[in-house]
Amino acid sequence: MKIGNVEVKVSIVAIAVFVIFTIFLIVASLSSPEVRSQLIWLVPALFMLLVIPTALNYMSRSQYANIAPVYEAEAKTVRIKLINESMIGKPVRIEGVVERVYYQWMNRPQYLIADRSGSISVKMFTSPDEDVKVNDIVEVFGQVIHRYMITGDPVINCVLIRKIKKS
Amino acid sequence: MAVSDNPEQEKQAEELSHRWLEYAVPLLSFGGALLAFIILVTSIPLDFRISILGCVLASWVLAYLAWIRPRKDIVALTTPLYSFIFIAIPTDVFSSMVLEVLYAASLTILLVRLKYRFGTTASMAYRLKELAAPLKTYVARTSGSCQGISPESGHCAAVIFVRFAEGNYGEAARESGTAAGQLEGAGTSSCLTRAFKIVREHAALLDKSLPRPQTFLTFSPEDADLLAKPVSDSVEKDPEFYSTLDNALLLLFSAAWNTSEKDRTHLLACEAFAQKLMSPA
Repeated sequence: MKIGNVEVKVSIVAIAVFVIFTIFLIVASLSSPEVRSQLIWLVPALFMLLVIPTALNYMSRSQYANIAPVYEAEAKTVRIKLINESMIGKPVRIEGVVERVYYQWMNRPQYLIADRSGSISVKMFTSPDEDVKVNDIVEVFGQVIHRYMITGDPVINCVLIRKIKKS
Repeated sequence: MAVSDNPEQEKQAEELSHRWLEYAVPLLSFGGALLAFIILVTSIPLDFRISILGCVLASWVLAYLAWIRPRKDIVALTTPLYSFIFIAIPTDVFSSMVLEVLYAASLTILLVRLKYRFGTTASMAYRLKELAAPLKTYVARTSGSCQGISPESGHCAAVIFVRFAEGNYGEAARESGTAAGQLEGAGTSSCLTRAFKIVREHAALLDKSLPRPQTFLTFSPEDADLLAKPVSDSVEKDPEFYSTLDNALLLLFSAAWNTSEKDRTHLLACEAFAQKLMSPA
């Protein structure tokens, strides 16, 4: 679904929640007249289960789209090996192969990117523009952060990930 | 805590205290479950909820053991939170005992996982101003060659290494250019001067995100003994280019460590980066 220039993706979790509660609502309204009398607000509330994640996804993706050019201009291209704890907060660009993809179904994908010098976790807090898969060669723009906000090994908070060569 | 005169002795003492803390996790948690069992079978006039404290304390000990490791285990770190949820749920003495046994078993499994998957505790190195192997071995190996280096050059090497680690490549390039110029101006043309020049070249390229040039600076063959990693003899230029940078940075680290003692705290803060540079890739 496209809103303006932003491609909005609703996660499978949000859809599953919507479907489950729709089933609950149908069953409850068939079996209870009290529930039927409340449908005037239950049905809009049910749709909010889809609208809210969609709105959040739209907002985060439009924010990411706005800041991506800043990162493209400022990030330094580094080998993964050079990324360390002293670089927390620095914008960086890395190139590498996608070795693993996690949590894509939650619209919060996490990638393990490797180059010849090492590998690093790349976390994204929204859905990416492109569908990135294992073995894709990608470039990543993002900021070096701690894995657990204030502690943990350095990882990249990804702002932009895109394929640079077909696998 | 006062730092003793004997670092090795203090390190052993700390390792011992960590070992006791590791024993404390199953002892406290299963101890709490045992207390709940005693309360259940003997009907002694004691509030059974006191037995939950064993699991709560064990959770905090486990979280502490996770915290002091360089690699953090988020599961072990959040166990105190679960222990509070444990307290908050009102239950009877039998259910509480069963829950405590299961919780104690979970904590013990997490402790084993912590030990084997998240490595040993952060050594006392930082506090004791001591490096870990293999960096320690390299720094010791090159200490003799660093004797002729002035503390000022050592300080410059420390600043440049730290700037490079921080990703301040522009600054690192400028300062290494200045340091190389000063050493050459003083008539010194050493391996360290070459290292400064190599770091300047790489930092300038990184600052502008430029690719590897066709020709680049390398160490001379007679410097091989001072280098941390063997120079790549591959036909490909990339491994040679990158291992030259790693060697140059490690040489700066060693020079700084051996000649500028006041900078050791800053160097220790970047030790993980230096250890990464020591890796073969």
